[in-house]
Amino acid sequence: MNIKQHIEKINKQEINAVEFTYKALDEAKKINGEYHYLNVVSEELAIEQAKQLQKSLSKKNFKGKLAGLPISVKDSICVRGVESAAGSKILKGYKPLFNATAVQRCIDEGAIIIGKTSQDEFGFGSFSTNNSDGAFKIPLNPFDKERVTGGSSGGAAGLAQKADFPHVSLGESTGGSIACPSSFCGVVGLCPTYGLVSRFGLIDYGNSLDKIGPIGKSVGDCEAVLEVISGYDEKDSTSMKQELKKGKVEKVGLIKSFFNVDKEVKEAVMKTVDRLGVDYEEVELPIMAKYCIPAYYVLATAEASTNLAKYCGMRYGSHLPLEGNFDEYFTAVRSEGFGAEAKRRILLGTFVRMAGYREAYYLKAAKVRTKIIAEYKETFKKFDALVNPTMPMIAPKFEEVSSLTPLQNFMMDVSICGPNLAGLPHLSVPCGFSKKMPIGILFVGDHFHEKSLIELGRRAEQ
Amino acid sequence: MEGEAVIGLEVHLPVNKLASKLFCSCPIPKEGAEPNTHTCPTCLGFPGSKPILNESALKLVLKFASALNAEIQKEVVFSRKVYFYVDMPRNYQITQYEIPLGVGGFVSLSNDKKVALKRVHLEEDPGALIHPNGVGSSNIVLVDYNRSGIPLCEVVTEPCIKSPEEARDFLKKLLSIIEYLGLFDPANGTLKCDANISIKDSGYTRVEVKNVSGFKEVESALQYEILRQKKVVKEGGKITMETRGWDAKNGATYSLRKKETEEDYGYIVDPDLSIIDVTPAMMAEAKSEVPELAYDKAKRLAEDYGISLDDAGVLAAEIGLADLFEKVAKEINPVLAARWLRRELAKILNQSKKSLEEVKIDEKYLIELLDLFEKKKINDKTTKELMIKLVSEPFSPKKYVEEKGLVAVSDTSELEIFCKKVIEENQKVVEDYKNGREQALNYLMGQVMKLTHGRASPDIIKALLQKLIG
Repeated sequence: MNIKQHIEKINKQEINAVEFTYKALDEAKKINGEYHYLNVVSEELAIEQAKQLQKSLSKKNFKGKLAGLPISVKDSICVRGVESAAGSKILKGYKPLFNATAVQRCIDEGAIIIGKTSQDEFGFGSFSTNNSDGAFKIPLNPFDKERVTGGSSGGAAGLAQKADFPHVSLGESTGGSIACPSSFCGVVGLCPTYGLVSRFGLIDYGNSLDKIGPIGKSVGDCEAVLEVISGYDEKDSTSMKQELKKGKVEKVGLIKSFFNVDKEVKEAVMKTVDRLGVDYEEVELPIMAKYCIPAYYVLATAEASTNLAKYCGMRYGSHLPLEGNFDEYFTAVRSEGFGAEAKRRILLGTFVRMAGYREAYYLKAAKVRTKIIAEYKETFKKFDALVNPTMPMIAPKFEEVSSLTPLQNFMMDVSICGPNLAGLPHLSVPCGFSKKMPIGILFVGDHFHEKSLIELGRRAEQ
Repeated sequence: MEGEAVIGLEVHLPVNKLASKLFCSCPIPKEGAEPNTHTCPTCLGFPGSKPILNESALKLVLKFASALNAEIQKEVVFSRKVYFYVDMPRNYQITQYEIPLGVGGFVSLSNDKKVALKRVHLEEDPGALIHPNGVGSSNIVLVDYNRSGIPLCEVVTEPCIKSPEEARDFLKKLLSIIEYLGLFDPANGTLKCDANISIKDSGYTRVEVKNVSGFKEVESALQYEILRQKKVVKEGGKITMETRGWDAKNGATYSLRKKETEEDYGYIVDPDLSIIDVTPAMMAEAKSEVPELAYDKAKRLAEDYGISLDDAGVLAAEIGLADLFEKVAKEINPVLAARWLRRELAKILNQSKKSLEEVKIDEKYLIELLDLFEKKKINDKTTKELMIKLVSEPFSPKKYVEEKGLVAVSDTSELEIFCKKVIEENQKVVEDYKNGREQALNYLMGQVMKLTHGRASPDIIKALLQKLIG
């Protein structure tokens, strides 16, 4: 049952929201025991919401666009009263006083929040294996437990695949964290234009890059949730008032250099392209292809290193016994509370913004970003969307991942990093299998052209 | 000290008359508010919270920058200044770095010198630290985040101030502008200053004195620091680049840290705050809303009302006083009004430690009072007494004077009787006066005043006595 049918049945009260929620929670917990997709199962909250919903349905003539739809939320997105730790030990125990706008909008439409999904610490990773030095369980690929889910929204994509009940997950992407796990787990991930969905309530990674978006079983499911969560929000200064553009899918460009991948991956993607019923030709974006990874890592870590400054064992999150002066205390808290990858990115991000290096790295990366955006804009004069395999390969095994160097690790995201850096909407849709593992096709659109992507996605999934 | 020192100031002004803080909707707390009662997830820096710029604060500071003749920049950009400190909720301060709101500008001093400004920018205040047993003797420090997020306006001068006195005059002029614009409420915040001082004798090696509160303290700190530097050089020592603190209690600066390099705050543009375009319309609005400021007002008052430039300057320094003067001067001789307002009223307010704003003196009654004086219905002493009374409560001086029989004895025939009586009873003193002892007349005048219970005009008594004695 797709979510549309489910929501209709809830609204018509053909399904009892409370009974359904109990069942969904049971199933989620069962899956979680095996695959570790949820850091927290928000059972009490979910039941309470379901009861409220049932009451509103029966007494107040309420109809919700997401009525009775279980939604899981990436750990870095705040849910009031539910531990939201962004996958980091340093934020253990942090229960926000507010809901993220995206979460609140879902709740207002009758959605049921079932838990917080596992992720790389603060979104720092491509495999969901950076678990804050063991503070959280690592999610396992729904097709093969020896393989990763991808990251950083790994729990979200895993649960979206594995849950048999109607369900959509709210993921978050800074440099590819929606597309990558969606591809590896065989689900649909929609990362919207930067500014379309409010970031209020998102625990920041790189504020100029962070985007909240849905991950679900079908393009339609994601579209339904996007419609609810998008739109201007006065609580986020970078939120945009712009409406979505009308969809148009006549011609797409295949980014040539990103097709230099595993044979089976390439074939599956090309087969799908042929089914789209659109003109296509090859295209290159040389500046993007060459510089998106370095520019991204400079900017994202520069921002992240300032965002993470606030975690010092005061007011919220993990604390230590008060000892020494403030410098000694917060140093101890941060040494203990951050995992290795968080420390690496703090160091990198601090380095690139220090006097003497700022010009050479931070400011230069910002200029490169502008050039990359310009290159995309130029390309979109000719194409309605750009296409490439979401990831160059199928989900790797844990042992393969552990042997990667940090740089190889960073390079994994080259085919999905560009649109993230440029704030462009992108949609990953499953398009076949290789070694029984899913393959994803990525559609990238111009700013606010989500509708074109959704149309292409629909054609791809048929 | 003129010509021997070079001073640059960095002034931090709380923009605390607004309804809310700079990046959240928390109200700005009043002095003495219970700690941490004016806070929210944003000004506490909770994960997931986001700052939203208070547009009234921006408008007000744009107006201020215009009043300082600064060039308003086309974009409002905020940056993160990163350093770890207990009073900083996010361990970075949202401030302006590459592009401040205003660049350049100047403030005119009393001596017509213009102090050139480098920049004017907007930033947030951190929280406040409370040392329960005093600094240095407490083993714990408490943090009050009420202050966190209150808008601060920073004004940085070029190193062009030549003396502590000039620095003080600059701050006074700056305060007057702030008062004219309704930017700052001194009852709920303090002006703070960092000063860079160097002297000729040392080859102008720069020393920074940080965090001096209030403009009298700034003058003292600068005076002390110049003397200290001179002494060091005179005794053969060397001035090194350093940051010093100001111990107001002992009136001395003390070394905080040596400065080998500038602090490195790793500034980045704050990606949570979208860049705001300052439109020509916004600039025009900021400019048009700047009222006539003290410097121009003083010139106009002197010209329009025929009062001295000195009186006009004192009146114009405080907008409330200047407004009151203009109302009164429409009914009363302006020279007389100016004298009473700048001397007596200012003195009374000063003694009662109240501001004009607080006492809300009714100009209608002030006009009545000065009218009585102008028409010689009451004398100097009564006028002063009634003015003191007017500052504490509203009443009609005219009615009061009639009821209490305070009308001055100006009937010369009645006064003559008193004068004659005094002359008769003090023949010896009269003789002294005749022999050239001028003070003797004062004694006789005093005696007449006593008989009239102080209601007579000293000038009239004096004239009468002189006439009668011959």
